Formats: sequence, C-alpha cells, structure tokens
Amino acid sequence: MKKLFLFLITLGVLALMAWGFYQAIYAAPTEATMGDVQRIFYYHVPHGMLSYLFFSINFVASLLVLAWRRSNPARAQVADAWALAGAEVGVVFCSVVLVTGPIWGRPVWGIWWTWDARLTTTLVLWLIYVSYLLVRRFAAGSQTPALAAVLSVFGALDMPINYLANRLWRTQHPSPVFGGGPDSGIKDPDMLAAFGWNILAWAVWGLAVLAIRIYIQRRQQAIDAASASAALAAD
Amino acid sequence: MPGFSKNSARAGWPGLVWSHLRKDLRIEWRSREAINSMLFFALLVVVLFSMAFDPTAATSREIAGGVLCVATLFASVSALNQAWSREIRHQVLDALRMTPADAAALFIAKALANFLFVSVVQIVLGPVFFIFYNLHPLGDAWLLLLVVPLGTWALVANGTFFAALSIRSRNRELLLPLILFPIFLPALLAMVLSVKTILNGDGSDPQLLWIKLLAGYDVLFTTISLLLFATVLDAE
Amino acid sequence: MNTGHKFLVAAYCCTWAIQLGYLAWMAIKWQQQRSKLPSRTGKSR
Repeated sequence: MKKLFLFLITLGVLALMAWGFYQAIYAAPTEATMGDVQRIFYYHVPHGMLSYLFFSINFVASLLVLAWRRSNPARAQVADAWALAGAEVGVVFCSVVLVTGPIWGRPVWGIWWTWDARLTTTLVLWLIYVSYLLVRRFAAGSQTPALAAVLSVFGALDMPINYLANRLWRTQHPSPVFGGGPDSGIKDPDMLAAFGWNILAWAVWGLAVLAIRIYIQRRQQAIDAASASAALAAD
Repeated sequence: MPGFSKNSARAGWPGLVWSHLRKDLRIEWRSREAINSMLFFALLVVVLFSMAFDPTAATSREIAGGVLCVATLFASVSALNQAWSREIRHQVLDALRMTPADAAALFIAKALANFLFVSVVQIVLGPVFFIFYNLHPLGDAWLLLLVVPLGTWALVANGTFFAALSIRSRNRELLLPLILFPIFLPALLAMVLSVKTILNGDGSDPQLLWIKLLAGYDVLFTTISLLLFATVLDAE
Repeated sequence: MNTGHKFLVAAYCCTWAIQLGYLAWMAIKWQQQRSKLPSRTGKSR
C-alpha cells in the first residue's frame, strides 16, 4: 500500500515537472525584448522564491529545537532533522538561482555579475547557509543541534534584511516582478500560467526531496544513537 | 559582588557588566597582547593595499572604506579568536553557570572590551591611514565618527557571540570567520558604502539610508545575541 | 534571438544537474546507511 502511494507521488512529481517544462518552453509566448532567453525566468524565479521557503522551514525547525531541547529531546531530534534538511534543500535551490542568474544575465546585460542589491543579498544568503552546513559538519558533539539552531536564528535574520535591500534600492537587476510597483506583475495570462505551473512543480519537487532528506537524517540519528549505546555497552 | 537572589542580580546588572569589563580591560592593559597583534595585522593590511594599488586621491576615496573595513576585520578576528580562551583555561564559564548571574552581562562586557580594543587600534591607525592614502574627505567627515563605531560594533558583537558558539569545536579558528563573515556582510556593505559616500561627498545618500540600516542591524543583532547567549553558554 | 537559445539550454541543464546531483548524493548516503542499520543481525560495523 505504502509502495503504491510512493509510486503515485513520484509519478505525480515527474508529471508536474514535465508539464512545467512544456509550459515554460512551448506554451508560454516569446518575450518581446529578450526573446527565448527570457524563458530562464520560469526556472530562475521559482527557485528564488522557494529557497526562502526552505530557509524558513529551517528557521521554524530551529526555533523548535531550542524550545524542545530540554523539555522534549525526542521531538527536538525530529525538529533538528527538519532544520538540516531545510537548510540543505534551501542551499540547493539558492545555488540554482546563483547559477541560472548569470547565465541569463550574460546575453541580456552583457555581464555575468554585478554587485547590486539583489545579486549581493542572494549571494550573502547562500554563504550564510553554506556556513551553517559547514558548522554542522565541523562541530562534533551532542550540542551541535542546539548550537546550529542558534546560528540558524542569525541566518534567518538575513531574509528580512534582503527583502528590505531589494525593495529600497533600484538597481541593475530587474525590480521585483510581483508587488514591485504600479507597472510590475506579469500581464500576459499565458506567461502567468507557465510561471504558476513551474512554481507549483518545483515546490512539490522541493518538498518531496525535503521529505526524503528528513527520512535519511532520521535513519542516521537512529544509527548514531545505536552505535553510541553499543560503544557504551561494550565498555 | 552580586547576591544570590535573582532580584539582586538583576538590580546589579550594570555593576556586573562593569566588573567583568574592568577585569578584561585591566588584564589587557597589563599584557597588551591582543592590542599589539591587532595593531600589527591592521597596519599590515593598510600597507599591503597601499602598495598593491598605489591609488590616486580620487581612487583612494573610493577604496578607503573597503580597506578600512578589511583592516578592522583582520584585526578583530585575531582578537576574537582568543576572546574566550582565558575563560576556558580557568574554567570561568563553568563557575558562571553555577551562579545566578546574568549571562548576558558577561556577553555585553566581553563585547564592549573587544570593541574598545578594536577602537583603540582604529584611533591609532586612523592618522596613518589618512596619510598613506592622502585622504581628504569631501563630505561630512564627522559622520565617520558615527559610521565606523556602528560598523565595528556589528563586527565585534557578532564576533564575540560566535566565538563563544564555536568554543568546543575542533577547528575553532577556522569556524569563527566562516560563520562571522557571511552574517556580517550586510553590515560590512553598509559601512563601506557609507564611508565611500562620506569621503566622496557626492550626496548620493541624502537620507543616510546606509547609516540607518547599519544602526538597525546593530540593534537587531545585539538584541538577538543577548537573548540567545544563555542558550549558547548552557550548551557548552 | 538564436544566440539566446544556447544560454536557455545551459540554464535548464545546470538546474537539472544541481537538483539531480543532490538526489544522487542522497542516494549514495542511503546506500551507505543500509549496511549500518541496527535492525539487522546483532553485528554492528
């Protein structure tokens, strides 16, 4: 029964991906000024928005780790798995943003990179969560979840800072597409549909990947706990 | 010394901060090891950049903010790396965990001490800096007295906090800059751009947005550090 | 705009490379774990 369920989910995710791809490459009309290159938008922007989602998951999970670590250690472990997975998936999505962005920028602006608000803040966000992952790897000990959770709170503060920076400074990078001002937003319904399908597809993909990562982390926690108690018993 | 009830510990909070601070300052004054190593690193950076770029007056105004920040950064990290080493060596942290004294007071005192050390380095090197780069501020130079301390506090407060966080790690010296730099980047940006605007006097930031961002950053991160320091202390 | 096309392909390929790369890394981790699961015979690695 469970296998069937998982199989259907996988099928669903793949179908959504394929549909999103079709929408982005074929169904959406070609943009007037930029041409075909603009279609990168349908992958680039959803990844950007979703990375904030996964970093937020990391933030909430970290708060729970801090809240539960004394009162309910078992639950804190679960929260910690969610925190780690959220950070990893967020870094993956953010990496895609940082790679597809310059690939789009090169033909359109003539430059790979510039130090404007949007690019800089995205890079900073990526660096912060990569350092979070490195801390988790380097710092050995039973208190790693708590310390990582504290670090995560600091990292999460960067998200509103980024939001402010992007709203306040109009720069090289296109201004916010949604809610940026009276002239913003996607006007063409076909483009909007393509965007909508892709953000849905990538969200579902991301959540599925998150679920798998949490499962693997929980198994790892069980293995570590078992080997720790085996080591103790052997003495 | 603070009493053993929570109430009197709260009432003596400024006194507690002051006693921690006085201790740190006095120890540093006797050995001057932290300040000396900081001065050396900062001077090195200033000289290196000056040799590498040989800037004209106009260029130097553009890059001075960045060079000053990098110099401060290197200076601070060398001090922050051993910020808590004395406390660890003498099991001070364990002792503190047994008292009702407020952990946040210790944090503020340590951060203030480090802030004062770095500021001393900046005051000593400031004139050197102006001379090497032939700096002639075209804007409101007095604003520098606001921007530089705000930026330095951002660095030192966060640095002191993360130094405590990475105490038990094997690669402590590697971990501290690894955590600190990305989180500090927004403040670094604000500081560098403010200094550039002030030196250039081009009026590109009439509402002093960058300075306001820096001040906001300081308030936000200091508050969070104060709230979470007890957690970090507990977790060691 | 024909030149834009190769950038479009590059962007989509990079996206999939990164996403599938992460999945592959997780699969390797999964395989490593299978030999270490405590629920197997009393032997532990």
